[in-house]
Amino acid sequence: MGRIVQEAKYTCALGAQQTVLGIERAVPVIHAGPGCSSRQFAYMGPGSGYQGEGYTGGGQIPCTNSSQNEVVFGGEKKLGQLIDAALQVMDADLYVVLAGCTAGIVGDDVKQTARNHAAEGKPVIGVDTAGFRGNNYVGHELVIEALIDQYVGDREPEVRKGLVNVFSVIPYQNPRWRGDLHEIKRLLTGLGLEVNVLFGYESGGVSEWQDIPNAELNIVLSPWVGLDAAKLCEKKYQTPYIHEPVLPIGLKATSAFLRRVAAALHMDEAAVEDFIAQEEARYKKYFVSLGDLFSDFASYLPYDAYIVSDAEYGVGAADFLTKELGMNVVSFYEFDEPDASAKQLVEQALSAAGEGLAQTLVVEGDNALIRADIAEKIAERKNKSLILGSSWDKELAEQTNSILVYYGIPITDQVVLSKTYIGYAGALTLIEDIYTGLFRKGMITNTTHGEDDAI
Amino acid sequence: MDDQRSRAESFLKNRKGIEKMAEIRQIAIYGKGGIGKSTTTQNLTAGLVELGKKVMVVGCDPKADSTRLLLGGLAQKTVLDTIRDEGEDIELDKIMREGFGGTRCVESGGPEPGVGCAGRGIITSINMLENLGAYTDDLDYVFYDVLGDVVCGGFAMPIREGKAKEIYIVASGEMMALYAANNIAKGIQRYARTGGVRLGGIICNSRNVDRELDLLRAFAKELGTQLLYFVPRDNIVQRAEINKKTVIEYKPDSSQAQEYRNLAQAVIDNTKFDIPTPMTQERLEEILMEFGLMADDYNI
Repeated sequence: MGRIVQEAKYTCALGAQQTVLGIERAVPVIHAGPGCSSRQFAYMGPGSGYQGEGYTGGGQIPCTNSSQNEVVFGGEKKLGQLIDAALQVMDADLYVVLAGCTAGIVGDDVKQTARNHAAEGKPVIGVDTAGFRGNNYVGHELVIEALIDQYVGDREPEVRKGLVNVFSVIPYQNPRWRGDLHEIKRLLTGLGLEVNVLFGYESGGVSEWQDIPNAELNIVLSPWVGLDAAKLCEKKYQTPYIHEPVLPIGLKATSAFLRRVAAALHMDEAAVEDFIAQEEARYKKYFVSLGDLFSDFASYLPYDAYIVSDAEYGVGAADFLTKELGMNVVSFYEFDEPDASAKQLVEQALSAAGEGLAQTLVVEGDNALIRADIAEKIAERKNKSLILGSSWDKELAEQTNSILVYYGIPITDQVVLSKTYIGYAGALTLIEDIYTGLFRKGMITNTTHGEDDAI
Repeated sequence: MDDQRSRAESFLKNRKGIEKMAEIRQIAIYGKGGIGKSTTTQNLTAGLVELGKKVMVVGCDPKADSTRLLLGGLAQKTVLDTIRDEGEDIELDKIMREGFGGTRCVESGGPEPGVGCAGRGIITSINMLENLGAYTDDLDYVFYDVLGDVVCGGFAMPIREGKAKEIYIVASGEMMALYAANNIAKGIQRYARTGGVRLGGIICNSRNVDRELDLLRAFAKELGTQLLYFVPRDNIVQRAEINKKTVIEYKPDSSQAQEYRNLAQAVIDNTKFDIPTPMTQERLEEILMEFGLMADDYNI
């Protein structure tokens, strides 16, 4: 039975328009009713730390604005005209047609329409991202698989040693995706690898996608998103993949991740260890400097942690908070609502990360219910708490004197640009943001407080 | 203020129109594809207009062949074709033609096969007819001739929102026709629970199969309804169709023309309207067995 969701932490499959916008010089062409596209943008653009329109986002996204005529008679004709117009006026390397609900219900064939209207040298692909097919995590998967199928296509791989593809964070839905991909690329490049991160400023745009078949290894850096794409590449291009369900945050997880990648590629161990040693040395110096704060404010340090996140970031956070900051994860609210098999993958990843972590998992997409549950648990446990939440949790943090760090969407009162919380560098930033929270208004007596409530 | 008053007056006037509309007997005809719904509806309509009744026939089938016999051919531009070509700002006479005996004929039409949504098309068409004031006070009957089985919500439009309150299912003694009729009854039952829609009976369009009358009577009884009329099979119906006419127009003195007049009278006189009691597949098969329809030596 369906129920009312008060504060949804995701959108529908059509949210994959933001996935397309994550690729440099790619244009989403939306076949949906008026409003669908702009709502997606509002939620994942301004609602995700004011990330901006990008190359062709926001109000510039071409859309059929389908109405009754397109429902009754089918909308392929209008879509065709829109594609032709977009090709004329929008200078891009790739056009991805995405179908919304009505087009999906009446059965418009967006894939074929896209094919029919592709002009010379202008790749146009079509994906059925009807909203009812699932949330925007599912939409993201549908788009990356369609890109591999229709855009990269059948190709004889010319494998380049040391080239890897990374299937990982979701553009815009994950507010720090740009900074995170930068860190992932930095780490893997540091090992001596050549890296296709596929999205964001660090990618080479469509050229990285075209290069996918040539990789020596695919890395799935997520509990379930991206796994099907890696399997598709294995089938099409015989590229092996490793599945890393824990997004590495902090020294332990990041070093272990890098060693597993190196082992999978049979890399020179000495060079790998040299890079890891450099990174760890830097990390440790900063980490140790935190010791004074820990001893001075020992009685104010948060002990319990509540994680409100999708699977990808949540598993990484649970691992980091437990192993490196010594916190007790009370509940991890996973809001991407995976299907049964994906949920099993998340549970396995949590179990591997730490004893008892799998038992903290609560799958819930409604932040209002999540918030109520956290409030109840804090009242019951009476411990100093950390909430990895969002702008929707400000009042809860104030009422419970908890430290709030904006971890997932929506972030509407903070600007997010290149920030990252992953890898070595990101973990240090996360540490800064968590413990800066000690000095927010009302947290510590006899302290000059700032007015802000969250990091 | 004047503007507000005129809007209020116009609202009340329209409302009065809607209340008056409730006096029109709006009838939906359902049944298996190819069973003869359109033929039966048009001949029945001809019978009604002979008796001085004012009738509108609304074809709810993308094939747009529900008014062919009344109009003397497929002379009608459908509602949806008109909307597609000229938009929604159109006059009623663009989509309504006068047929045999002053019958008002409308074809909903639909998208080309394989694209779009025909169900939504029917919803759009009927809304358009209402907006254009097609349901005038002088009408006695409106018939909705709906395609084959009910395939999605759109095809249930004529029995939703208090439009057609009366339904007849056209069936024959053939097994698949009865399967379909039973399925349609399930749809009617759903709407009957929440609205005023009722099943007026089964109209048998005979295929001359063994014990057909007995079978249809038993089937109707099990369905909690009646066999309203048994229309015998006669090749004159096909000949009239080739000539693009109803039997009543083509051979007014024939016995088949009289059958359709009798059917018209049965509809006029009908006061038995029920919520159907659709049966399980097993029960339906039992009835078919009982009347020999599923016997080994049975041939259709």
